[in-house]
Amino acid sequence: MMEDFALKVENLVVSLGDLVAVRGISFVIKKGERWGLVGESGAGKSLTALAIMGLLQDGWDTSGAVWHDGINLLTASDKKLSTRRGRTMSMVFQDPTTALNPVAKVGNQITWILRHHMHVNEKEAIEQSLALLNKMNLPRPESIMDSYPHQLSGGQRQRIMIAMALACYPELIIADEPTTALDVTVQKQVLRLLDTAVTERNCGLLLITHDLPVIAAMCENVAVMYGGRIVETGSIAEVFTNPRHPYTKGLLASQPTLDNIDLEGGTRLTSIRGSVPPLYAMPDGCAFAERCDFATDKCKELPELDDQSQRVACWNPIAITQKGA
Amino acid sequence: MSENIKAPKIRAKKGRKKSRLPLIMGASITLIMVIIGLISIFWIPLDVNESDPSIRMLPIGTPGHLFGTDYLGRDVTSMLMTGVRTSVIIGACSAFLALFIGTMFGMLAASVSKLDEPIMRTADIFMAMPGIIFALVLASTIGAGYLTTIFALTSFFTPAFVRVTRASSMRVLAEDYISVARLYGRGKLFITFRHVLPNISSILIVQFTIYFAAGVLSEAGLSFLGVGINRPSVSLGMMLHEAVEQIGITDPLGVWPGLGIVILVIGLNLLGDGLRDYFDPRFSQRAR
Amino acid sequence: MGRFILRRLVFFAITLLITSVLIFALIRAAGGNVAAILLGKNSSAEEILKLSTELGLERPLPVQYFEWMNNFLHGDLGQAFRSKQLASHLIWTQAPVSVPLSLGGLLLAIIIAIPLGTYAAKNFNKPSGAFVALLSQIGIAIPVFWAGLLLSLVFGVHLGLLPTGGWVPWTENWVGSLRSLVLPVFTLGIVMASTLTRYTRTAILDVMNEDFVRTARASGMSRRVALIKVGLRNASLPLVTVLGLLAAEMVGGTVIIEKVYSLPGISRMILDNVTAREVVVVQSTVMVIVIYVMTINLIIDLAYGLLDPRIRVGK
Repeated sequence: MMEDFALKVENLVVSLGDLVAVRGISFVIKKGERWGLVGESGAGKSLTALAIMGLLQDGWDTSGAVWHDGINLLTASDKKLSTRRGRTMSMVFQDPTTALNPVAKVGNQITWILRHHMHVNEKEAIEQSLALLNKMNLPRPESIMDSYPHQLSGGQRQRIMIAMALACYPELIIADEPTTALDVTVQKQVLRLLDTAVTERNCGLLLITHDLPVIAAMCENVAVMYGGRIVETGSIAEVFTNPRHPYTKGLLASQPTLDNIDLEGGTRLTSIRGSVPPLYAMPDGCAFAERCDFATDKCKELPELDDQSQRVACWNPIAITQKGA
Repeated sequence: MSENIKAPKIRAKKGRKKSRLPLIMGASITLIMVIIGLISIFWIPLDVNESDPSIRMLPIGTPGHLFGTDYLGRDVTSMLMTGVRTSVIIGACSAFLALFIGTMFGMLAASVSKLDEPIMRTADIFMAMPGIIFALVLASTIGAGYLTTIFALTSFFTPAFVRVTRASSMRVLAEDYISVARLYGRGKLFITFRHVLPNISSILIVQFTIYFAAGVLSEAGLSFLGVGINRPSVSLGMMLHEAVEQIGITDPLGVWPGLGIVILVIGLNLLGDGLRDYFDPRFSQRAR
Repeated sequence: MGRFILRRLVFFAITLLITSVLIFALIRAAGGNVAAILLGKNSSAEEILKLSTELGLERPLPVQYFEWMNNFLHGDLGQAFRSKQLASHLIWTQAPVSVPLSLGGLLLAIIIAIPLGTYAAKNFNKPSGAFVALLSQIGIAIPVFWAGLLLSLVFGVHLGLLPTGGWVPWTENWVGSLRSLVLPVFTLGIVMASTLTRYTRTAILDVMNEDFVRTARASGMSRRVALIKVGLRNASLPLVTVLGLLAAEMVGGTVIIEKVYSLPGISRMILDNVTAREVVVVQSTVMVIVIYVMTINLIIDLAYGLLDPRIRVGK
């Protein structure tokens, strides 16, 4: 029987020696579902993505389970993983300037994937690659196929990365800050391409970013990470209109919008005081307690995600108001 | 999937820290060799140039001559101790001079853009010149000896320090806090010595140990050729030169000076590697 | 690429020009009176003056430099003061020993070091990789001449397989020439291979941590395929630069090895002339060696351009 999920993460822990960066997170992404993963840098977002792909650097350890395409990705061999990477699951990285092999032609990098996974011949691979590049709105795909990465712009390279990720119709795409390194005008175009492609192919999407509007525009569900844990998760509508965790609320409040910019009296942009505790000094209890206005003695114990539809890991969650913020 | 996710037990595992063994071993070996060299300044068993034909070629372990004697009856123990001293002095001096001059020019190239190109091209030219040939030319004109050897090695090593200093200074100068310091009105000199130098010092220290070792090897090579250190001074390379010239390659005396050089150089290289790991644990985690 | 080659050639020419001035200045200015050097310590002032006039040494240094360069470019490298032998003739007869030795050593080093360094990088967290790294560490610490002495002791004296020294001209008996070269080439090769192995290992480890290797693996390359298809190709770029530095080391090693194995090579000839203080011959021979090293460097530079599309194709 086919599974109905594209990815199922159970109690994922990622650690380097005695430093624990991801402290047991779980979520399920169904096929065709889009999940956003937000949090400050250092919250463990990228490590989560790399752990799923099995691309952590040497020295990092994982525990828990990550289910995809019938296997536990955490314990599978490199060989088994390599038949799935690029085929059933693929990843778009943050920095397109360093993510493409500088000494190979773009065309060869794309056709390799098609020939390796789909076992098509050279001619077909080139045709499919051209079609992919066309889809990515890249002008003159023939000349792009014949170029080296350094001859292309950042936006072009990121489109190529997306084309490579989509080449084999994967069930799951992980995009780690796919637009952070791009110009604002290019960001929109790239996101739209990703959006269309995911819709067309009905694949699961895990979009990692610290850019809340992007998540709001692209995803149905969101998980907020803090200190290596998911502190709040639910649908975009729930979480963004009625944040229950003080951290989520702070995160939303520190986002500039037209509403909270007061041109005469300066900005009313708030920020969360303090900073993320470093890995080696992560408290046993709630990691956010030190920066939290609602913290009590109870927060010295570790809160678990509760059972409601909009789940939160907090001892003193903010009550849901009916009318929205 | 269970609805209530249990937090996994996270226990601090024993850290996979990079072992400090290379650092400790390298530092110990280097220290021992330096101490042997220091002792030889104040005391050696016998005069290194005093020959005694009646005790020629004594084997190792002879009472009074721990490492035996050479073809003229000179005490090998004393020669080895003096030779280690020579290696340490020449290696350290040439590496230090190259460090000093190279750092000056490297920082100059990094901070004064007009001088960048001329300095770097000059360094390229010096780098393409084979060091030993350079030393040979010097020896043919101003004669071989301590100072010639140090001078030749220094000119050979300096370009490497210029390059490293420039590259790492550039990296520091690109940091945001340097722009802040500039905005603050800090002068070039202040920035160079207060911000750049402290930040590149660890790289320079590692580089110094590497070229210390290279100096030891090069001096040995030159002295082996007969254009480095000569009598009445003694060096390990020169001892090998004498052994091969007088007795041939079967001379058992060939073993000790060679071993001395190898031990000193391994010690210095281990020290360099250890220091690099010590200064930059992130780098060691990923690469070493 | 055309502009790149042109730039390299111009730099090559300028470098040679500056180096020639440097060599000349070093020998003439630092060394003092050439005539006095040639005649030795026990010569009278009269004799020195007479020889100075004879050799044209009283003329201004720039004039002498241009004369030397002019002659050099026309193939006249000067002659030895005592033996009256032509420097060009000496070089011509010794090159068949030195060139095969140095190039053979470099080639052997590459053949040994690239697979070994790759292996060490691939297994960097396993004992076998650490062992290779340790071997190269030890190899780096062994002086060239000592390695030569030990090798000729084992293979020449104890096993009696190969000659420990001496030379048979190629024209006389080329098998004998080859046999004489085996140990020297082997010595030079393994000593340089130690350094190169270490650099290869580091270069590959560095490249394997690059983003584009991660991308390659994310698109389905296994560790091994990524290492060979993406890693090696990219690691070859820094390695080519290292080879350029090794070319200078190679010449130094050749000088020493020719001494160890008593080979009548070009570097032996310099050494003899340095000892005999034959200034003119030394000056010209050094220039020839520098040209040799820089030509190898030029070839390596051009190879670099060929390997790196960022240079080959340009913006």
